[in-house]
Amino acid sequence: MGAAPAKQADFLRAIAEAAPRDVKTLYWYARVTLLADITGLAAFDRVFEAWFVRLVEVEAVVPPPGDVDGAGAAAGAMSTSEVRPGGGVEASAATTTGGRTFGPSDGRQHELMRALRDAWPASLPVIPSRRRRPARWGRRLDMRRVWRQARRDGGELTQLRWTARPPRTRRLLLLLDVSGSLKRHTPDLVRLAHTARQARTEVFTFGTRLTRITGALATPHVDTALAAVSRTVTDADGGTAIGEALRRFLANPRFLAIARGALIVIISDGLERGDPTAMVRATERLSRLSHRLVWWSPLACSPTYRPVTRGMADLLRHLDHLGGVRDLATGLSEVERIPSVVAGPRRAAWRRYRSGAHA
Amino acid sequence: MPLGEERLAAALSREGYFADEGLLTAVHLALLLGRPLLLEGEPGVGKTEIAAVLSRVLGRELIRLQCFEGLDAGHALYEWDYPKQLLRVRTAESRGQEIGDLYAEEFLLQRPLLRAVRSARGAVLLIDEIDRADSEFEAFLLEFLSDFQITVPELATLRAEVPPVVVLTSNRTRELHDALRRRCLYHWIAFPDAERERAILHAHVPGLTDEAAAALVDAVQRIRALPLLKRPGIAESVDWARGAAALADGGNGWPRALRRALGLLIKDEEDTRILERHAEEVFGHR
Repeated sequence: MGAAPAKQADFLRAIAEAAPRDVKTLYWYARVTLLADITGLAAFDRVFEAWFVRLVEVEAVVPPPGDVDGAGAAAGAMSTSEVRPGGGVEASAATTTGGRTFGPSDGRQHELMRALRDAWPASLPVIPSRRRRPARWGRRLDMRRVWRQARRDGGELTQLRWTARPPRTRRLLLLLDVSGSLKRHTPDLVRLAHTARQARTEVFTFGTRLTRITGALATPHVDTALAAVSRTVTDADGGTAIGEALRRFLANPRFLAIARGALIVIISDGLERGDPTAMVRATERLSRLSHRLVWWSPLACSPTYRPVTRGMADLLRHLDHLGGVRDLATGLSEVERIPSVVAGPRRAAWRRYRSGAHA
Repeated sequence: MPLGEERLAAALSREGYFADEGLLTAVHLALLLGRPLLLEGEPGVGKTEIAAVLSRVLGRELIRLQCFEGLDAGHALYEWDYPKQLLRVRTAESRGQEIGDLYAEEFLLQRPLLRAVRSARGAVLLIDEIDRADSEFEAFLLEFLSDFQITVPELATLRAEVPPVVVLTSNRTRELHDALRRRCLYHWIAFPDAERERAILHAHVPGLTDEAAAALVDAVQRIRALPLLKRPGIAESVDWARGAAALADGGNGWPRALRRALGLLIKDEEDTRILERHAEEVFGHR
């Protein structure tokens, strides 16, 4: 179960101080003291059932993956730890072997990736931080520093000091389509995601299911990161279920918190099999949650591209920008365009494709 | 000091709070072991309310710390009252008196955590919506939660004579750190079953008839099964019952009153549309 010693001690103390009347009370004693997160409930129930009710030995119960937000360095341990319960992703560690492998990056790609790493921080939108810091100029007095200075000067107010709210970068959320129709572009798109890596960036891939790859990307060496991604993502080059994947993303409250107020970039061709209604609805919701919602499609690289498939035509009015990205070079030019998208009005993507430009 | 579980249940329900067995055990153990209690659950299932009720049951002061992004030690612990210190210095100077101790009690602004530590009879400390605070604040809480003491460098290390009863709530918008979870007892408050929800409605909406309560709870339970963006909590169903009761008194029939007061239960346009589509299965008629 992986319950910490402190929690086990709590459990034993509880039993010692107030002996439980029956198995049901014992169950609640154990659950309240040993369980640390509701996602571990199923595993807890199995162990409790086996141990106290049926008195049989259980084979290893796979504990829910712990907190991975703090995990960073160990590249070897990273491949599967991102698959979490609660995200609608039920993949076990055992199934994460059939992934796609990406070739090593060449010199040209490294050069572009360097440029991208420089371009991202300058392009991301910022918001004033809630935490005030001492500043040269500001609108609120920093009484602590004013007072310290005054004490040094014998209680005389000699100088006013200020606090300000320094800018903080908004979160970047990348949703990357890895289905078969983008097969040619996937390696470069994952590299593009890797260049955006920083503390407040979250990356998910979706094909037939949704996978969080933020942890897999969290290594400075790009080819190591690509290998980790290919181990984690098991649905690469398969079918497409964009609407379903986005719906799953939105069904998870924790992912919602990631999306709220973030710059969301969806990289996909938007070619939904079957009815696109779910995809359009999910896009609308993401648009409401986000600070800005940008869609990058390899198809839009072509100057004659018009978003005329039913899905794209419908969701265009929810987008702030629809850009063409198929490799690192086009990615770079789109990243550099982000500030103008952020400065512009919301949901303006359709303006670019107003009828009449190209017939 | 701790009450038995039965007496605790009776005391809570006298205050109009109907806890299920899991929550009772959790509160009971939190009092028995002196551990903080971490409560999670959907919005509106009574996470915050349990702290308020507990403070009345135990006869202790309720101290609330509402978390938000950017919450820091100055908001949570204490701050020195600089303007007051400054005034003291100026007046002392102008009258030619001794300045005296500037870091004395009278210049200390006590914030919730410090107040909880210094409360003579012990307090119920509610740390509300911890998931809204930054994760740095969680790390800062760890020390406080393990030994209930606060160090004010200019004064002393202040330790709680009577440890406060600590209730933390989270809406799960952000993953809490494991270290914090380890220090707490944990309970997930689920939506109440029909019987308990009826009891809650009767306690909070005076004059509600049995049939009306049954119809209402029935509808709420069905609505919670729909794929809504925000499923209505207990707070909403109590509001709904109150609103419908007011409309029913005004001459509307109950089924009609329920439909008209729906804005108190469902607070999203999209959810309203979903509900309209399922009106028949929820209300039994169009």
